[in-house]
Amino acid sequence: MLLAQILLNGVLLGGLYGLMALGMALVWGVLNIVNLAHGALVMLGGYCVYFLFAGLGIDPFAALPIAMLAMFAFGYLLQRFVLNLIIRSAALNTLLITFGLDVVLTYLAQLAFTADFRTINPSYAGANVAILGLTVPLLRLAAFVAAVVLAALLWVLLQRTRLGRAIRATAQNLVAARLYGVDPAQLYALTFGLGAALAGAAGGLYGMVSQVTPYIGATLTAKSFVITIIGGLENPFGIVLGGIVIGIIEALASLYIGATFTDAISFGLLVLILVARPARSLRNA
Amino acid sequence: MMWRAIFLGLCVIGLAAVPFFGDDVLVQYGIDALLFATLAQAWNILGGFTGYVSFGNSSFYGLGTYGTAIAMAQLHWPFGIGLGLGAVLAVGCAVLFGIPILRLRGHYFAIATLALSASLSAIIANLDIAGRNIGLILPLTRADAAFYEEALLLLVAATATVAWIARSRFGMGLLAIREDEDAALVMGVNTTRYKIAALSLSAFFTAIAGGIHAYWITFVDPGGAFDLTLNVRMVIMAMFGGPGTVFGPLLGAFVLSAVYDVLASSISTAAALLFGLVIVLAVIFMPRGLLDLASGFRREGARYLLQNIRMHRL
Repeated sequence: MLLAQILLNGVLLGGLYGLMALGMALVWGVLNIVNLAHGALVMLGGYCVYFLFAGLGIDPFAALPIAMLAMFAFGYLLQRFVLNLIIRSAALNTLLITFGLDVVLTYLAQLAFTADFRTINPSYAGANVAILGLTVPLLRLAAFVAAVVLAALLWVLLQRTRLGRAIRATAQNLVAARLYGVDPAQLYALTFGLGAALAGAAGGLYGMVSQVTPYIGATLTAKSFVITIIGGLENPFGIVLGGIVIGIIEALASLYIGATFTDAISFGLLVLILVARPARSLRNA
Repeated sequence: MMWRAIFLGLCVIGLAAVPFFGDDVLVQYGIDALLFATLAQAWNILGGFTGYVSFGNSSFYGLGTYGTAIAMAQLHWPFGIGLGLGAVLAVGCAVLFGIPILRLRGHYFAIATLALSASLSAIIANLDIAGRNIGLILPLTRADAAFYEEALLLLVAATATVAWIARSRFGMGLLAIREDEDAALVMGVNTTRYKIAALSLSAFFTAIAGGIHAYWITFVDPGGAFDLTLNVRMVIMAMFGGPGTVFGPLLGAFVLSAVYDVLASSISTAAALLFGLVIVLAVIFMPRGLLDLASGFRREGARYLLQNIRMHRL
C-alpha cells in the first residue's frame, strides 16, 4: 500500500516535471539552444501566478493563462532582441549566454521579490479524495491534469496548425523552411515565447505543490534537461512520460535509498542513457 | 621574445614579493585570485583547446579538497602527501569517467560532466571517512604568505604547462579536435587519448588548487567543495580573458576577481547581477575574450564589437 501511494505521488509530481521539460525540449529541438535559463523562467512564472493570486485574489488556475501570456511576451522579446543576435554561434556561446540570463533573472527576482519562500495556497489546497484506499491530493491531481492537457494542446498546435508546421519545418531544415516563406527571426521568437509560456505554466503549478524562491531555477533546469534526454525531442507525450519516469524514480529513491541520493540517481541514469544509447534519440550528439 | 621572457619573469617576481610588502587583506585576496586563475587555466586546457565545455572540473576540485582533507584530518598524513592523494583521486576519476563520456560531444558532454559533480557530492555527503554532511576540519596553520607562494607556484606551473601545450604537437592535436574532430581523427590524431590526457592534466591542476584552498581555510564540506558556481566561474574567467590562449584565462581571472571582490564588499546581490550581465554582454560583443578584443579593436575599432553579431545573427 505504501509502495502504491509512493508510486502515485511520483506519477502526479512527474506529470508536472514533464510539463516543465516541454518548454525546454521545444526550444532545444527547434532553436538548438539548451536553455540554461529555463528554470529561471519557471521561477518567474511561479511568481506571476503567486502575485496574481495573493495580490489580486485571482484563482491560481484562472491565473495560469494570464501568467502564460505574460511569459510568452517575455520570451518572445528575449529571443527577438537578445538571443537572435548570436543564435548561429558555437554551442558554448549559447550555453553561456543563457547561463548569464539565468544569473541575471535569479538576482533580479531576489531584488524584486526578496528571498522569502512563497507558496500558492488556495482554500482547497488541503483537499483529498480517497480512491481504492489511496489518498489523492486534489491539487496535485489538478496540476497533473493541467500538465497533460497542456502537453496535448502543444501536440495539436505542432501537428495541426500552420504555425506548428512552420515550427516543425524549421526544426528539420532552416534553409528549406526559409525558402518556403518562413521568417526565422519571427518564428524563433514565437517558439521561444511558447517555451517560456509552458515554463510559466509549470512554474504556477509548481508554486501550488511546492515553494517558489528566486533560487529554484538551477535544479529545475537540471531536472528538465534530464527529462528531455530521457523523453527525446520529437514527441510532447514522450517528454511527459520522461517526467513521470523521473517522478517515480525520485519517489522510490527517497523511500528506499535516502532523499540525498535522488539527484545523484537521476543524474546517474542520465549518464547511463547518454553513454548507452547515443545513436537513436541523440543522433547529432 | 627575450624581452617578453624578462617581462614575464619580472611579473612573477613582483607577484612573489607581495606578501613581503602587502597587508593581510591583500595577501588573502591574492591567494583567492591566484587559485581562481589556476582553476581558469586548468579549465582552459580542455575547454579552451579542444572546445569541450567541462562542468565537471568542480568535481576534480572537490576530490582535491577531500583528498587533502581526508589525508590530513583522518589519517594524519603531511600536507604534501594529501595533495598527492587528492591529485591521484582526481586524475583517476578523470580517466575513469573520461573514457565513456568523452565520446559525447557538445551539449551532451557538458551536461554529463554536470552530472558527475552532482553525483560525487551526494556520495561524499554519505561517506563516514569524509565526515558526511558535516565536513572535515583540517589542522590550523597561520601562514598566509606560504599559501600565497604555493598558489603562485602552482599558477606558474599550470601556465608553463599551457605554454608548452600551445606550441607542442599535443596542443596542435587538441586544436585540431576543436576545429573539426572527425578531420583530426582522419589526420591521425588519436582523439580519445588526446582528450583524456587533456582532461587529466586539467583535473591534476584543479585538484592541487583545491587541496591548497582546503588547507588554507582549514575546513571542507560537500556543498563548498563541489560548488557548481565555482565551475561556472572558471568557465567565465577563461572565456572572458580568451579561451585557447596562454595568458587569456589569467587576465580574465584577475580582472573578474578584482571586479567581483570590489562589488561584493559593498553590495553582494548587485555583484552577482553584474556578473550575469557581463557574461551576457561578453557573449554578444566579445565571444573570443579580452585578448582578442584588444587586438581586434586596434585593427578595426568599434566595428569589432558588431562583427560577432553580424556573423552569428539570423
